[in-house]
Amino acid sequence: MGMINPVPLDSVDDILRPNADANPLLDRGMVTTSLDALLNWARTGSMWPMTFGLACCAVEMMQAGAARYDLDRFGVIFRPSPRQSDVMIVAGTLTNKMAPAFRKVYDQMSNPKWVISMGSCANGGGYYHYAYSVTRGCDRVVPVDVYVPGCPPTAEALIYGILQLQAKIRRETTIAR
Amino acid sequence: MSATPKAISEMFRDRFGDRVAVGETFSGIVTLEVDTDAWLEVCRALRDEEDFSYEQLTDLCGLDYLSYGQSEWDTTDASTDGFGRAVEGMGPGRFDWAGRPEARNVKQRFGVVVHLLSFRHNRRLRIRCHAPDEGMPIVPSLVEIWSSANWYEREAFDLFGIIFEGHPDLRRIMTDYGFTGHPFRKDFPLIGNVEVRYDSQKKRVVYEPVQIEPRVGVPRVLRDDSRYKTDEVDQAADARAEQIAAEDTAANGRKS
Repeated sequence: MGMINPVPLDSVDDILRPNADANPLLDRGMVTTSLDALLNWARTGSMWPMTFGLACCAVEMMQAGAARYDLDRFGVIFRPSPRQSDVMIVAGTLTNKMAPAFRKVYDQMSNPKWVISMGSCANGGGYYHYAYSVTRGCDRVVPVDVYVPGCPPTAEALIYGILQLQAKIRRETTIAR
Repeated sequence: MSATPKAISEMFRDRFGDRVAVGETFSGIVTLEVDTDAWLEVCRALRDEEDFSYEQLTDLCGLDYLSYGQSEWDTTDASTDGFGRAVEGMGPGRFDWAGRPEARNVKQRFGVVVHLLSFRHNRRLRIRCHAPDEGMPIVPSLVEIWSSANWYEREAFDLFGIIFEGHPDLRRIMTDYGFTGHPFRKDFPLIGNVEVRYDSQKKRVVYEPVQIEPRVGVPRVLRDDSRYKTDEVDQAADARAEQIAAEDTAANGRKS
């Protein structure tokens, strides 16, 4: 997918009412928009993450999903299966022993797919960078879209990362290349 | 039931004689040193006999006495805020595979420590057993006596390479599939020997020799930072305050 953005960022925010004041079609109950904007609207509105809690970061991920921050508001609903997921949140320490299984889960996700690396350990090994059993960053195994720093990052930080990923997806083009 | 550690130690001496050595008592728990020959017999007695009745094995760990007593850092003078530490390390952890330390005059490097619990007497016990051969450390397995020893012994085998004779299923329990070496041995490099990455040509995760250099973060105390100057500043301020106070009293004295 190309990263050229044909439309400025702001104009896609309300894609169901583009140019609401000037568009005469809206009065007749019709909507015109670009297909890319529609796709991106749909994708950003239902980012279902593959639950991949590996360590203490997973507890913060649970916090983000629980009542106070409530990721459901963003259409982020945790899935137990890679086949149903769009995003993988790598929450915690990725060990060498886990790496092949982790890659397999990533391969099983259907396209388009994104990866959020959460916390120091997933970003680059973190505290265990010099350890014998820990992969020095999950980007050695899968491509990563958003890195959320922290040890562990707060639930707010994870949500900010998810919003950053949404902004990134909005800039993607599927039809126009 | 509340026998003192001393009385308990006497009890062990009376029962086992010179087959056990009663070691130090730490946090109210008596330590017994047992040879590998008497290991099973003593443990069976500790479980079955009325006076002991240690029904449960709560913990089993491996021991490695290589570099025992060697310090990791040269600690120089200490302030109230911390220790000054040299960055040149001497202890284990900061070497690669080629530069790993040799065992020097360590008698019976490997061993096993076991913690037992007696519900009947509300009493705990620590027993230790050292393997006679350093090249191939063998200790009899306790699985027959306490079945909870099963996975603990697999752990000690995995991390220390201690072989438990008579264990029903002695394989690795924690480290990676196909892992070589025993990572909790003191001569195992902390950075390990392999690292993983995904190979997009081979479409799988591949293992490669480790790329990075060993490094251990050493906390350092900077001697010349502002914290050590507060005394001088405070003293100067105090001196100045006293001076002003003296001048004030002198002025007041003249007035009255």
